[in-house]
Amino acid sequence: MNNPLFLLYGVLLLGATGYLEYTGKSFDRINQQRVLPKSIRDNPGAYRSTYGGYSRYIGGK
Amino acid sequence: MSAPTSNCPNCGAPVTFRWSSAIQTTCEFCHSILIRTDLDLKKVGEVADLPADASPIQIGTEGVLDNKGFVVIGRIIYEYEQGGWNEWHIVFNDNSNAWLSDAELEYDVSWLAPQHQIPVIGRGSECILANRAYTVTSITKAHYKGVQGELPFEYWDKSDVAFADLRTPTGEFATIDYSEKTPLLFLGRSVEFDDLHFKNLRRFEGWTS
Amino acid sequence: MSTTLVSQSLVKAKSLSCPNCGTPIELRGFAHTLSAVCPSCLSILDASNPELQILQTYQGKERIEPKIPLGSRGTFNGTVYELIGFEQRSVQTPDDYFSWDEYLLFNPYKGFRYISEYCGHWNVIRVQSRVPYPTTARGRRGWVLDARKFAAFDAMQAATSYVIGEFPWQVRLGETAACEDFIAPPYMLSSETTAGETTWSLGEYWEGSKIWQAFRLPGKPPSPQGIFANQVSPYAGKTGAAWRMWLWFNVALFTLMTIFNLTKANKEVFHDEYSYAYFKNHDTSFVTPAFQLDGVNKNVEVRFHADIRNDWIYLSMALINDETGQTFDFAREVSYYVDSDGSEGSRDNRVVIPSVPAGRYYLRIEPEMVTGALSTRYEISVRRDVPIYSYFWIAAALLLIPPIVTWFRSNQFEARRWRESDYRPVDSPVMKIAGGIIESLGDD
Repeated sequence: MNNPLFLLYGVLLLGATGYLEYTGKSFDRINQQRVLPKSIRDNPGAYRSTYGGYSRYIGGK
Repeated sequence: MSAPTSNCPNCGAPVTFRWSSAIQTTCEFCHSILIRTDLDLKKVGEVADLPADASPIQIGTEGVLDNKGFVVIGRIIYEYEQGGWNEWHIVFNDNSNAWLSDAELEYDVSWLAPQHQIPVIGRGSECILANRAYTVTSITKAHYKGVQGELPFEYWDKSDVAFADLRTPTGEFATIDYSEKTPLLFLGRSVEFDDLHFKNLRRFEGWTS
Repeated sequence: MSTTLVSQSLVKAKSLSCPNCGTPIELRGFAHTLSAVCPSCLSILDASNPELQILQTYQGKERIEPKIPLGSRGTFNGTVYELIGFEQRSVQTPDDYFSWDEYLLFNPYKGFRYISEYCGHWNVIRVQSRVPYPTTARGRRGWVLDARKFAAFDAMQAATSYVIGEFPWQVRLGETAACEDFIAPPYMLSSETTAGETTWSLGEYWEGSKIWQAFRLPGKPPSPQGIFANQVSPYAGKTGAAWRMWLWFNVALFTLMTIFNLTKANKEVFHDEYSYAYFKNHDTSFVTPAFQLDGVNKNVEVRFHADIRNDWIYLSMALINDETGQTFDFAREVSYYVDSDGSEGSRDNRVVIPSVPAGRYYLRIEPEMVTGALSTRYEISVRRDVPIYSYFWIAAALLLIPPIVTWFRSNQFEARRWRESDYRPVDSPVMKIAGGIIESLGDD
């Protein structure tokens, strides 16, 4: 075995990749797992998103 | 194999030939050089005391080469500017013969190559022999220092002789002997001590073989 | 076979006395020894002559002690050899002087071997009767022996600067030879030319600890300084192995990606088109019809496309569970500009929301565009349980790091090796820059 460190590194890397993929995790910016009242469905304008308004948008896709 | 026995014409001691094709031998006891004629042995000269040499091989040493057993029956000793070497005459159990050279404990075996065109060479030059590319590694002016045991030809009291050694990258070895009018070519290869499975070697104080 | 001619006598080492100082000398090389150095007065004596004529007296002042004592016996490849001679050789160039040590080993059956030592680096050497085959290596004359390619490393005039012990040749202080070294680590092929005759030797790199073990010497060998010509790289073979492992990991990664691709539902649960028109002081937010999200805590992808040109649209959205009121807030901008040089931005964007519990959901959408923008068409679609490919691309990129690091460090080692050579290679621009960075990092 010439490169035991590489083997470990690769196994960990593939393991991490598999785990992330399996759990469907993403690193996109998602926020606020809040619970909203049902009334929003009928009155969407009443909901104020944390992302509301481009003027407050700081950057990053 | 029957070993024909005669008597030394000089001192009367028994002289045994191990090899049927031997032309010359030396008397163990009086060191006379004896030539074998049809009828008996003729003394042609004497060997002065052989120079002290450190070859681990001696007359009677046995070994194995190419799955054939051999025994050392004679030698020619040469000296040159940087030292000396032994050409041991060996005979196989199928009665063929060859030369085992010991030069500072580097061993080569070679066989007389009949009817070969001897190329014109200089040191470092290349030539083709028996379909192989050889490089000339040394040209040596040596002088004969002595003989011992059975030889396949008459050989004594030579003065300077010239030899050329040629080698290949894979261990093949060739040597050209310029001592005769017609140079002689020998073809062979280098061999390792271990591969010869020697027996009856000389013993050195403080060493086991 | 008759054995009457077999000599049973034992060859003994000759004992003589130095004609200069009378010190007894024992010749351990038997009749091979042609010159011997008196251990006391360091005169070089002609051993081929029984009178031991003096060939050269020692004019120097210092005595050099060999690192391995003369007379030591060591085992090499199963054979015992005795150390009978020591020679220090030196090279003097206009701007440099260096020397190395050579030890002569002897076995009356197997012959001679040499050990060389330079700055703690050892080589076990055997003179070759074979001649190597010429070739080209690294743009210069190289040699092939035993199917190995040897590249030219250095060439020098080496002088004998100190001797002690015995030698099977006529040794002289000050005698020089033209030496050339060719390397194929761990081997080194050296040629030595004196008076037109060239001798080839093949050396193998040995670590000091291995030499000490062979001789069973006490203590520790000297520590090696720097990197030696034929020293084995600790990365030898590692680069190829690293790339092979990298390949297998990529295969595994691709398999993993395929498995997820096949097992994820990736089901579109909602798709609709809208048109945005600005009305002053009018609230633009609205909600979509509800849709069902199956599966336990899978992710949700919301994709949007806007038919805009040289404009932007900002969508602030919320995914709301109709039954529980649980909300996921997010916002994205879609901007797209085109001019004569090319385009910037994209008409599409997407968000992936992880771990959304199953249930009935709807979207609340609040679009915003530059005041006074004309009517703009845009689409929104929602997919349940999507594969995220970016993880695989990131993993693939990260997988590249170990083999590249190994490759780089291996190259660095070789660069250090070749920096010692007379024939320094020309670095590629990449290696020059990288090497410069590495060197500056090490300067702290």
